[in-house]
Amino acid sequence: MTSPLRIAVDIGGTFTDIEILEAATGRVHQFKTPSTPSDPSIGLIGGIKAAAERFGLDIGAVEHILHGTTIATNAVLERKLPAGAIVTTAGFEDLLQIGRHGRRDVYAIALDPPAPLVPRRHAYGVPERIGPDGQVRVPLDEARVAAVADRLREAGVSAVAVCLLHAYANPAHERRVGEILAAALPGVAISLSSDISPEIREYERLSTTVLNAMLIPVVSGYTRRLSDRIAAEVPGSHIYLVQSNGGVSGLAKAGREPARLLLSGPSGGAAAARRLSAELGEPDLVAVDMGGTSFDVSVVHGGQVSMVTEGDIDGLPVRLPMVEMRTIGAGGGSIAWVDDGGRLRIGPQSAGAQPGPACYGRGGTDLTVTDANLILGRLEASSFMGGAMPLDAAAARAAAERVARRIGLGVDETAAGAISVTNSSLATAIRLSLFEKGLDPEDFALLSFGGAGGVHACEVAEDLGIRRVVFPPHASTLSAWGILWSDIVHDLAATEIGLLAEAGPRLAAAAVRLRGEAERLLAEDGVAEADRRFEWRMDLRYAGQAFDLAVPIDDADFGPAGLEAAAAQFHALHRRRFSYDEPATPVELVALRLAAVGRLAKPAPDASEAAAAAATPKTRRAWARGAFVDTAVWARSALGERAVAGPAVIEETYTSSYVPPGWEARLERSGALVARRIADQ
Amino acid sequence: MTAISPVRVEIVRNALVAAAEEMSITIWRTSRSTVVREILDFSTAVFDAEGRQVAQSARIPVHLNSMSACLERLIADFIPLERWDDGDVIVTNDPYSGGQHLPDIQTFRPVFHEGRRIAIVGTLCHHVDVGGGAPGSYYADAREIFQEGIRIPPLKLAEKGVLNQAIVDLVLANVRQPDETSGDLKAQIAALGIGARAMERIAAKYGAADLAAATSAILDGSETMMRAAIAGLPDGAADFVEWVDDDGQTEGPIRLQVRLEKQGDRIRLDFAGSSPQVQGPVNNTRAMTCSAVYYALLAALGKDIPANSGCYRPIEVVLPEGSVVDARFPAPVTGRMVVNHRIATAVFGALAQLVPDRIPAAYYAISYVYALATVEASGRRRVYFDIEVGGWGGHAGGDGASALSCGLHNNTNAPIEMVEAKYPVTFLRYGLVPDSGGPGRNRGGLGLVREFRLDAPVGSLSTNFERFKHPPYGIGGGRPGSLSRTTLTRADGSVEALRSKVSGVPVRAGDVITIETSGGGGWGDPAERPAARIAADLADGMVTPAGAARYGTDLNEAAE
Repeated sequence: MTSPLRIAVDIGGTFTDIEILEAATGRVHQFKTPSTPSDPSIGLIGGIKAAAERFGLDIGAVEHILHGTTIATNAVLERKLPAGAIVTTAGFEDLLQIGRHGRRDVYAIALDPPAPLVPRRHAYGVPERIGPDGQVRVPLDEARVAAVADRLREAGVSAVAVCLLHAYANPAHERRVGEILAAALPGVAISLSSDISPEIREYERLSTTVLNAMLIPVVSGYTRRLSDRIAAEVPGSHIYLVQSNGGVSGLAKAGREPARLLLSGPSGGAAAARRLSAELGEPDLVAVDMGGTSFDVSVVHGGQVSMVTEGDIDGLPVRLPMVEMRTIGAGGGSIAWVDDGGRLRIGPQSAGAQPGPACYGRGGTDLTVTDANLILGRLEASSFMGGAMPLDAAAARAAAERVARRIGLGVDETAAGAISVTNSSLATAIRLSLFEKGLDPEDFALLSFGGAGGVHACEVAEDLGIRRVVFPPHASTLSAWGILWSDIVHDLAATEIGLLAEAGPRLAAAAVRLRGEAERLLAEDGVAEADRRFEWRMDLRYAGQAFDLAVPIDDADFGPAGLEAAAAQFHALHRRRFSYDEPATPVELVALRLAAVGRLAKPAPDASEAAAAAATPKTRRAWARGAFVDTAVWARSALGERAVAGPAVIEETYTSSYVPPGWEARLERSGALVARRIADQ
Repeated sequence: MTAISPVRVEIVRNALVAAAEEMSITIWRTSRSTVVREILDFSTAVFDAEGRQVAQSARIPVHLNSMSACLERLIADFIPLERWDDGDVIVTNDPYSGGQHLPDIQTFRPVFHEGRRIAIVGTLCHHVDVGGGAPGSYYADAREIFQEGIRIPPLKLAEKGVLNQAIVDLVLANVRQPDETSGDLKAQIAALGIGARAMERIAAKYGAADLAAATSAILDGSETMMRAAIAGLPDGAADFVEWVDDDGQTEGPIRLQVRLEKQGDRIRLDFAGSSPQVQGPVNNTRAMTCSAVYYALLAALGKDIPANSGCYRPIEVVLPEGSVVDARFPAPVTGRMVVNHRIATAVFGALAQLVPDRIPAAYYAISYVYALATVEASGRRRVYFDIEVGGWGGHAGGDGASALSCGLHNNTNAPIEMVEAKYPVTFLRYGLVPDSGGPGRNRGGLGLVREFRLDAPVGSLSTNFERFKHPPYGIGGGRPGSLSRTTLTRADGSVEALRSKVSGVPVRAGDVITIETSGGGGWGDPAERPAARIAADLADGMVTPAGAARYGTDLNEAAE
């Protein structure tokens, strides 16, 4: 009897990571295969078949395939998008050109914000007007819509975004425009702002709609090929795509609303953090992902991943729920340099993968963070990437020497200085991302993943007063592992502006509408009724305030008692986040939100994988607190159940972790390596 | 001074920047007003024990140097450092004691470690109202500062940790929105506490001696970088004159004259020849003028120089006393941005004579502040307040950006849907103005048109605009950007052209207000603009056929 299988596939630029869960036993298998960028679905199917063969699994037992893809993200970053157009209320054709005015680089002379995705010549206005109360002030001029359709046909565009003023309050005009355009322009992708982001603030809604419309041809082509291949090669399975909100959705929805895939990169890591937080009993976990060029911080607080309702891709706003992330340009490839004022600085320039750090021996001559770690003995030339990629220690030292001369320090001290400066930036990024939520690092454990983070994590934790650091299993495929534990999540919203106390009937009506839509979407995904869960939130603010807070409510009770409870929740949340509340000020409602969740089973992890413990570690000299000292070097797979006291380095194929003096590390039953601070220095 | 490793300097610098950022987050988190929360009109800074600025969190260039100039003046002329005790909070908003304009309330607090002063932390917040002749304290008819709101001379708001509530009460009794002012003041005081705690943490970790050595090294490092950047400019002198339309009360124009002398690694700017201070509230004090000068130099030198007091050491600013760039008490100053933006474009204009390739043509250079006070049938009164922008100048690297917040300010616009949901107005148009960008090899960015109708029975309009007579200049043969204008179309169809600065113009239901802002100047000879780029501008409607003719290029050729 074969166990039903769930498969997570995370497709990156170079590798496709595959994780397979045997649902009956909780056993998980990992597999890596090269990506096939021209059509990623080829690598996906090939990888699944190869993995099934490797682990002796029956491909007919595959129930769910959960798939993380960068196809939408890359299309936007590389501007490989079809020609698009926008249709707005007449008089407001320039909304996309105007944006929100604010600039990021305060002192730049070349103030060149990213060019809008739709040129001005393809912006069309139609006479109509709806007020903020949803009342029609000027009826839609349908003849003009038809004329616009003719011009769109002549222009030869493949995608049209429709965004009319106040359409969040009444979508009737947008729907009619959509119908007329769809009839006149078969085969052209059409997106309505009231469908994809039905919320107040016209520019952010328009920007989101434009991205969505232009991605439809890109993503729907991919999902079509994918579902054909799956039907032929993995019959009987359901496939889902990872969204920016940390959940997954079916192909049909993803094809209609591809903007929801745009910022899905961090979702796998966040899902992994949430799962580990539950497995380890660490409800407050700050997760850091350090790769070659960047350091990303996300937060799990009270077991929940911190989310935001808006972000941007390459400067273009996307107003959809997504994982909250603070990113700084610090990674293994970040370059150490000395500026004209004599400061030792790290990044933001990175040596990237080409030429890469000096020690890669590909022609790089700049000192990078990875070079510094090699000089300090925290990385080993012969065991990097499991020995598949020997490092050039002499090249690293030569690079360090150039910097050392400029600041008048020795080579080792310069490398140690570069690591100290890096660690201080990483610690600052973590401190600020917690501080802005009113949280204190000392109450958190640190979760470290990504190839470059393990050698920094404990020292960064020390700087912050954090006493526990978690190094998860599968660190190099953690995103795929996280995807394995995702649920199906559909985010729905209705803008309903007005005093909360008077909004009961409107809220009840909106809730019925949202719930019906949610049930339809979950049914489309094949989710059984027993596995459906509904999470309601209201966006509330004090009357007159510009900012609102998302307040979770237990169930959709919009009677007087329910509304009072929601107001009380809002006051409390406001106090926590902003340090004060105003119980006497009326509370205003902005929107009702529903997250419709289709739960996938979460079997307990299989703990039968404890490997044989090696008797003794290797030893090498590594830098600790100002000098080289003998340092134990363990293979992670050989740790067994023993506690390892620092200084120690724990090596895996794709990453290494450094345990400083005063710390002790041990493999937990879940497979996570946990380092604890046992002595204050 | 002990020698300190460059590694330690950089780690301390990171920590100081983080301290300023923590203070900034605290103000954002705990403040009440939308000026702070949505427009982000506030800054925080960290100073060394002597009051020299070493780190700041500011995204609005006009705040650059505001606090350091204020603190310097405060220490020199009002409260000497030996009288700063642990737990004191010192406050002022007085332009004639080192402050900016009255709505900007600044607070400072010394930080002590092991009994010695190791740092000072500071905050600046634009308050929504500080009294005076008009809601929001932008009173265009002011002739002296007494009409602009309550003045707080430098004084101790808290002494040794005890808040002087009497001062707070006195201030709150003189402002229109005491709840918001009180909340924002509390936010400023809370931020000082957070900043002090962060500085104590840094001193405990690295020691007071290393902290002092590091801050000195940070200031010296910025000075070195600034000197190196200046040394990279050719030696020489340049003169430039800018003309500001008027002060809103008397006939203009106002003359701004600057002579820039660059020698080795130093720059001297002399504003002799600028107009005497004026009757209307557009005057600048020395601190304001220096902010604009430093912004222009930092932008032009294009270097990644950490902005702190060290940067300003190689720069000498000479101002004629009693002029519009160094006004004397009691000249009114609230509308200072009318002149302040143009001090920057004057400095840019002079620099362009030395290094034309590094300087953009002029931008719209005015914060288009307007307010529409409305009275609804129910008697409800509201004030719709907004700020608009225009186009940036063409520059060596390309066309100027259209409709972007440029130069000395950096604000976001209010979404139309939010405005309509809150105020009795309906928008009819929000778009770019074709042909408003000055022609040039690289075209100026386009200005905006914003048109709205009053839906309430009565209202009154106030504007603090500029560029109705003197357009943004072009560089290297580039043509000027467009002029700005305000038009009032009455419900009966009659049309009035308004002046740039008006106060309380009565409007009625159905009247339509149309605001057109300036595009940026062009850069380089328009005849050198490739025909294909003119054709693309035509296709996108950035220029009309008539506007394209100003490039002197054959249109048929351009179309091919």
